[in-house]
Amino acid sequence: MNETLIETRNLVKRYGDTVAVNDISFDVFGGEMFGFLGPNGAGKTTTIKMIVGLLQPTSGAIKVAGYDVQTQSMFAKASTGYVPDTPNLYAKLTGRELLSFVGDLYSMDRGQVAHRIDELLRMFDLSAVGEDTVDSYSHGMQQKASLAAALMHDPKVLVLDEPTVGLDPKSARLIKDILRQLANRGAAVMLSTHILEIAERMCDRIGIINKGELIAVGTMDELRTLDKTGQASLEDIFLGLTGGAEEAEIAEVLK
Amino acid sequence: MNTMTRLPSGRIPDSRILPAVWKLLFLRLRITYNGFRHAKLRRKIGMIFIWLLLLGFAIFILSMSWLLLGLMRSPELVRYVGVDVKPILASIPALTLSILFVGTLLTSFGVLLQALYLSGDMDFLLATPVPIRAVFVTKLFQAVLPNFALVSLFGLPLLFGLGISNAYNILYYPFVLIVMIVLALAAAGFSSLLVILVVRVLPPRRAAEILGFIGAIIGLSCSQLGNVASSFGKAINISGTRLAGILLISNTRWLPLNWAGQGLVALGEGHWLSSILLLIATLGFAIVTFWFALVAAESWYYSGWARMQVVTRKKTVRSLHPVNANISNFRFGLARFLPKPVLAIVQKDFLTLRRDLRNLSQLISPLILGVIYTLSILRNSGQVPAGNGDASGWFMDSFRIMLAYSSVGMSLFVGWMILSRLAGMGFSHEGRNYWMLKVSPIHVGHLLMAKFLVAYLPALGLGFIFLTVISIVQKLSLLAFIYSLIAIIMCLAGMTGILLAFGVAGANFTWDDPRKINAGTMGCLGQIITMLCLPISFGLFIAPLGLAQFFNFPIAYGYLIGLVVGSGIAAGFTFIPLRLVRKRTERLDEA
Repeated sequence: MNETLIETRNLVKRYGDTVAVNDISFDVFGGEMFGFLGPNGAGKTTTIKMIVGLLQPTSGAIKVAGYDVQTQSMFAKASTGYVPDTPNLYAKLTGRELLSFVGDLYSMDRGQVAHRIDELLRMFDLSAVGEDTVDSYSHGMQQKASLAAALMHDPKVLVLDEPTVGLDPKSARLIKDILRQLANRGAAVMLSTHILEIAERMCDRIGIINKGELIAVGTMDELRTLDKTGQASLEDIFLGLTGGAEEAEIAEVLK
Repeated sequence: MNTMTRLPSGRIPDSRILPAVWKLLFLRLRITYNGFRHAKLRRKIGMIFIWLLLLGFAIFILSMSWLLLGLMRSPELVRYVGVDVKPILASIPALTLSILFVGTLLTSFGVLLQALYLSGDMDFLLATPVPIRAVFVTKLFQAVLPNFALVSLFGLPLLFGLGISNAYNILYYPFVLIVMIVLALAAAGFSSLLVILVVRVLPPRRAAEILGFIGAIIGLSCSQLGNVASSFGKAINISGTRLAGILLISNTRWLPLNWAGQGLVALGEGHWLSSILLLIATLGFAIVTFWFALVAAESWYYSGWARMQVVTRKKTVRSLHPVNANISNFRFGLARFLPKPVLAIVQKDFLTLRRDLRNLSQLISPLILGVIYTLSILRNSGQVPAGNGDASGWFMDSFRIMLAYSSVGMSLFVGWMILSRLAGMGFSHEGRNYWMLKVSPIHVGHLLMAKFLVAYLPALGLGFIFLTVISIVQKLSLLAFIYSLIAIIMCLAGMTGILLAFGVAGANFTWDDPRKINAGTMGCLGQIITMLCLPISFGLFIAPLGLAQFFNFPIAYGYLIGLVVGSGIAAGFTFIPLRLVRKRTERLDEA
C-alpha cells in the first residue's frame, strides 16, 4: 500500500453547542482519489477546511504528508493544494500575476514559476486571457484559475471542495483527467462532490459523512456490501445511509 | 400528458402595475422594518434618536425660515439694505426645486446603477409574473426615496416657511409637495437613462468604481474648500449684491427648471392664470420626461442593448512575462533582505490597491490634504512673527524650532492618515481572498512583516516628500532635516505597528465593497490610540531640543537625548503590539 498522505484521527469541530464534525477518522493514501460525500450541512467543508489548515479542530489530529497540520503547519501546507467551493481570487490581479503570486508564496524558483505559469495557462485554456484581470473571467474560468493556482507548486496532496460546479463538460472532463493523472503520479486527491456519478466513476475510495459523523468509508465494492442486494448504485447506497425520507416529501409537494 | 391541465386554474397572473408596485414597495418597507426589528437595542435607540434629531432639525429650519424670511420683508430692513428683497424671496422656490432636481439626478445615478445592475434581485424580479414596468417604477422609487427624504428635510421646511412668512394661499402647500415628488421622479428617470448609457460604454462594476472615486474626490474637495477659502480668503470675495444677482437668475423664464418655482409663487400670491400655466407646464414636462425615461430604460434594459458594451477594454500589448519583469525591478533593492512570500504579498497589495479605484479614492484623501497643507505653508513661508522684539533669544530660538518641527508634525499627520487606511485595514483588505494566504506556507511573522511594509512604505514616502518640501520652504538646516527624517521614520513605524495590531484584532473578511471595509470598534480604537501616541512619540524627539535651549546646553545633547528616547519609544510602539497579536494572526478568519 502507498504511504498515507492524509491522516485524520478523532477529529472534532464544535461551534458553541453545535457539533459540526464528530469524531471522524480516515486515511487517504498516495496514488488514490478519495471522494468525500454527504448531504448539505453534513460537515464536508468543515472537515476539508481543517485538513488544509483553514480551521483549527476542537480536538483530534490531522497529518498531511506526514506533517501535523497544527504543529508543523508550514510543512503540511507546503505539501497541499486546495481548491475551495467558491473561487474567491484576487479580482484585480491578472491570471498570470495570480499564479506568479502563488508561486512566490510557496517560495518557488523564478524560472520554475515562469515555466509553470505558461504550462498551466495552456493546460487550462487560459493563455488568451492570462493578461486579463480575474474579475473579467467567467465563473468557470475562475474555477480553472483556482485549480491552476492549487497545482502551481505540484502538491503531494490535493484537496478540492466541489471542483466541477459551474464548469462546462469540456472543462469538467479536463479537470477529471488532471486529477486522475495526479493520482497516477502518486499524489493523494481528496474531493467533495454532490455529483455521485463523478464520485462513482472517478474515486478509488469513498467516505460518506452525515450530521458530522463518518458513516461509511471504503471502495465501491466495500460500500455495496452495505446493501442487501450487493448490486446497488452509489446513489442508492448514499440515500440509504443518509436517509431518503426527503424524497417522499418532495414527491408529495410536486404532486 | 398535457401539463397545462395540471396548472391550478385560479391563478391568473395580475398584470396591473399599481398593485404590483405597491407589493414591491411593501417588500422593501418590510425589509427595512425587519432590519430595525432585528437590530440590537443600542442601534434601535440610536436610530430613533437620529430620526428625532432630523425631525427637530426640520422644525428648526421651518421656524427659522418663517422668522428670517418674514424679517427680510420688513420695510426698515429694505430701506437699510437698499435692495428690493421681494424678487430674491420669490427666487427661493425655483432655486430649491432646481437643487432638488439636480441633486436627485446626481445622487440617484449611483443608487440606480446598484439597483439595476449590481444587486442580485433584478433577475429574480424579472423572472416572476410581475409586470416589468412595475419593477422599473419600484426601482426608480427606491432610488428617489432616500435622496428625496434628505432634500425634503431642508427644502420642504424652507418652502413652507416661505409660504407662512408671505401668507401664501393654502393651495401653495400641497402643490409644493406634488411638484417636489414629480420633479424628483423626472430626475430619477433621467438618471436611469444615464445609467443605461454609461453601462453601454463601461461594465457596471467599473462604472461603480469610477463613480465611487469621483464621489470621494468631490466630497473631500468640498469639505476642504473651507480651508482653501480661508487660506486664500482675500482672493475670494462675493459681495451681497453679486449673490443677489446670482439668486435672481432663478427668476428668468427661459429655464424650464424655474417654471415650477415661479408657478408655486404665482399660486401662493393668487395669480391664477400664470400659476395654472406654469404648473401645468412643469407637471406635464416632468411626467412626460418620467414616462419617456421609464419606457426607454425598460426597453433598453430588457432587450439587453445596454449590456452590449460598445467600447471594449483595449488590451495592452505587454512583454511576454510582464509580471516577472515587474518583480525583478521591484526586487532589485529589497530581494537580498526580504523573503519571497513577503515580497509577493507587498507587490500583490500594491497592485490591487492601485487597480481598484474604490481603494484609491480612500488613499487619495491624505494626498489632497497634504497638497492643501503644503500650499498653506508655502503661503506662510514658515516665518516666526517678530512681535514687539521684547521676547528673549532662547524663547525665539525655541519658538523657531517648535514652528519648524510643527510643520514636520503636519507631515506625520498626513502619514498617519494614510496609515489609518493601509495599516488599520491591512488584513481586512484581503477580504474573502484571505484563504489564499491562510493555506500557504507563510510564517505569521512574514505575514505581519508584509502587511507592515504595505502600510509603512507609502506613508513613509509621502512623509518624506512632504518633509523635503517643508525643509526647502522653511530653509531647514541639513542636520534638522536628517533629524526630522529619523523622527518621521521612527514615529510612522510606531504608528504602523499599533494600527496594524488593531487591524488584526478587528479584521473583517466578509465585505464585498472596499468602501465598506471597516475594522469596527477595534479600528476606531486604533485610530484614537495612535492619535494619542503620535504626539507623545514625536514630542519625545522634539522636547529635548527645547529643553537644551532653555538650560543653555549644547543643542547636540538635545539631539542625542531626543534620538535615544524618541526612537526607543517608537520602537516599542512598533514591536510590542505586533508581538501581542501574533497568536491571534495565526487564527484569523476561523469563525
